[in-house]
Amino acid sequence: MRIDVSRLTKTYKDGTRALDDLSLVVPAGMYGLLGANGAGKTTLMRILAGLVTPTSGRVVIGGHDLATAEGRLAVQRTLGYLPQDLGVYPDLSARRFLDYIALLKGLHSRSRRRRRITELLELVALSDVADRRLKGFSGGMLRRVGIAQALLADPRLLIVDEPTTGLDPEERIRFRTLMSQLAGDRTVLLSTHIVDDVAQTCRSLAVLAKGRLAFQGSVRELVAHAHQRVWTVTTPGPAPAVGRVVAALPEGAGMRYRVVAPGPPDPLARPAEPTLEDGYLDLMDTGP
Amino acid sequence: MIATMRYEFAMQIRRPSLWIVYGLAFAALVAVLPYWSLTGGSHGGNAVAGAMSRAAQLLVTMLAMVYGCMLADRPGRDRALRVDGILDATPSGRTARLAGKYAGVCAATAVPMALAYFGRAAAYAVAEGEPSALGWAAVTFAASTLPGLVFLGALGFAGPLLVPPMVFRVLFVAYWFWGNLIPAYLMPTLSHTIFSATGEYARYGLLAPLPDEYGRGPAAMFDVLRPGFTPAAAWLWMGVMVALAAALLVLVRLRLSRSES
Ligand SMILES: Nc1ncnc2c1ncn2[C@@H]1O[C@H](COP(=O)(O)OP(=O)(O)OP(=O)(O)O)[C@@H](O)[C@H]1O
Ligand SMILES: [Mg+2]
Repeated sequence: MRIDVSRLTKTYKDGTRALDDLSLVVPAGMYGLLGANGAGKTTLMRILAGLVTPTSGRVVIGGHDLATAEGRLAVQRTLGYLPQDLGVYPDLSARRFLDYIALLKGLHSRSRRRRRITELLELVALSDVADRRLKGFSGGMLRRVGIAQALLADPRLLIVDEPTTGLDPEERIRFRTLMSQLAGDRTVLLSTHIVDDVAQTCRSLAVLAKGRLAFQGSVRELVAHAHQRVWTVTTPGPAPAVGRVVAALPEGAGMRYRVVAPGPPDPLARPAEPTLEDGYLDLMDTGP
Repeated sequence: MIATMRYEFAMQIRRPSLWIVYGLAFAALVAVLPYWSLTGGSHGGNAVAGAMSRAAQLLVTMLAMVYGCMLADRPGRDRALRVDGILDATPSGRTARLAGKYAGVCAATAVPMALAYFGRAAAYAVAEGEPSALGWAAVTFAASTLPGLVFLGALGFAGPLLVPPMVFRVLFVAYWFWGNLIPAYLMPTLSHTIFSATGEYARYGLLAPLPDEYGRGPAAMFDVLRPGFTPAAAWLWMGVMVALAAALLVLVRLRLSRSES
C-alpha cells in the first residue's frame, strides 16, 4: 500500500503548527520516520490512522482518500496502529483486551479470533501472563500487548509510533526483526528515535524537522550525506572545538573522539566511515 | 456496537466499587424508608400492583443517585486511560461505540438496582403468597423505572463531558433532590413534572392507584408540566424520557467529533 501525502498542514487548536506543507510518498515495505522531539511524527501518524483531521492537504493510502468517510474506513480495515502513548484497560486480561480489539477490527469468527490471539501472544512472548490483568503489566509488557494488538487483523498497513521505547535490547531486536519480516509487500511506517533501528530494517526513510520534510530517500543516501564529514581524533587535550562530537571513548592517556564536521576538526583527525546516525546528525546540523 | 456493549458491561459490572456503593445505599434505603413494609396504607385497587409500585418508588428515590454517580467516570474513561487511539483507529465507528458503551454501561449499572427490586418482589411474593407480584414487578420496572434510567444514563454520559466526574456527581445528587424529590410548592422545581425521572406518571397513570399522600399540594410553578395521572400522561412521560435521552446522546456524539483535535 502506497501512502501519498501532499501539502499536508496541521495546525492544532492552540495554534501549534505541527505539520507544515508536508509532501511525502511512502512505498510498500519498511519505511523509517526520524525527527527530533516535536518534529511532527506522531501528528503525521495520527492523521494517517484517521484519528486527526488535517487542516489542509491530502492523504491517499492505497487509492483511498482519507478525506472521505469511506476512504478512512477502507484504510482502517487494513490498518494496524500502535500509538506512542499507548493505554489499555487495566481491569481486563491481555487475552480479553486483545479479544475486544479484534472484535472492533471485525474479526467476528470466535475460533479464528482465538487462534490469532494465541498466535500473537506467543509471538510477543506473553503466553504465560495472557490471563493476568493488565494492571500488573510492566511498561515493556504493555508495549508488547500494543504490538500484538496492532497485528491482530493481519494489516496491510502498519503504523508504529516509537514501538521499541521501553523494550529491553533483546526484545527490541526481536521486534524490529519481526517488523522487517512482516514488511514484504505490506507497508510498515516506523517512527523512532533509535536511528539504529531504522538502519537495521529500512531501505528508505524520511526525516521531519519542525513539521517539514528535511530528507526523503534511501538509507544509503542519508549515510552518504555524512561522507567525508566524519572524523576520529585521538587527543590527550580537550575535545575538538569544531563540529559535533558524537562519541567519546577513553584511550590510553587521552580520549578518542568521533566528530561530525564539514572539514577535519584537528590536524590529526582521520576520516571515518559514516553511519546513518552520522548522516542524520549532519542533516540536522547543516540542512539538506 | 455489540462488542463494545459486551465489554463495557463486563468492565462495569465487575467493578467492586459499584457493588459497595450500591450496597451502602441499599442499606440506607432499608434503614430510612419503609422498604420492608410495602403493605402499609390502603388505597384500594390492586394491592399487589400498589405494593410493587411503592417498592419501585422507594427504590428509585434512593438508588438513582448511585446509578448516576457510578456512570460518571465511564464516558471519559477511554481518553483518560489513553485507549482511545487504538479504538478510534479500528473501523468500528464512533457512533456505534458510543451507543454500545451507553447500552452496556447503563445495563450493568442498573443490575444491582434490578436485583434489589426483584429480590424485594420475590420476598413479597413468598410472604404474601402472591406470585403475581413478580409479574407486576416486571411490568412496573419496565414501565416506570427503565425510562427514567434511560434518561439518567444519557445525562450521566453528557454531564461529565462538561465538568469533571467528581463535580458531576455532586451536581447530579443536587439535581436529584431538587428536580425529583422535593415537594413542588417549596421552590420552582421539575419534581413531579413529566420531566422528573422517578417514574410516578407511569406508576400512577398506568399501573397502580394514586397513594393518599399524592393529593395535589398548593399551586406551584411549572404546574402546566404536571398533568393528572392518566394513561396518556404515562405514555407521554415515557416518550419524553426517551426523547431527552436521544437528544442528550446526539449532543454527546457531536461533542466527541468536535473535540477530536
Ligand atoms: N493535541 C495537541 N494539541 C496541541 N499541540 C500538539 C498536540 N499534539 C502535538 N502537539 C504539538 O505539535 C508538535 C508536533 O508534535 P508531535 O507529537 O507530532 O511530535 P513528535 O515528532 O511525535 O515528537 P516526539 O518525538 O516527542 O514524539 C509539537 O510542538 C507538539 O507540542
Ligand atoms: Mg511522537
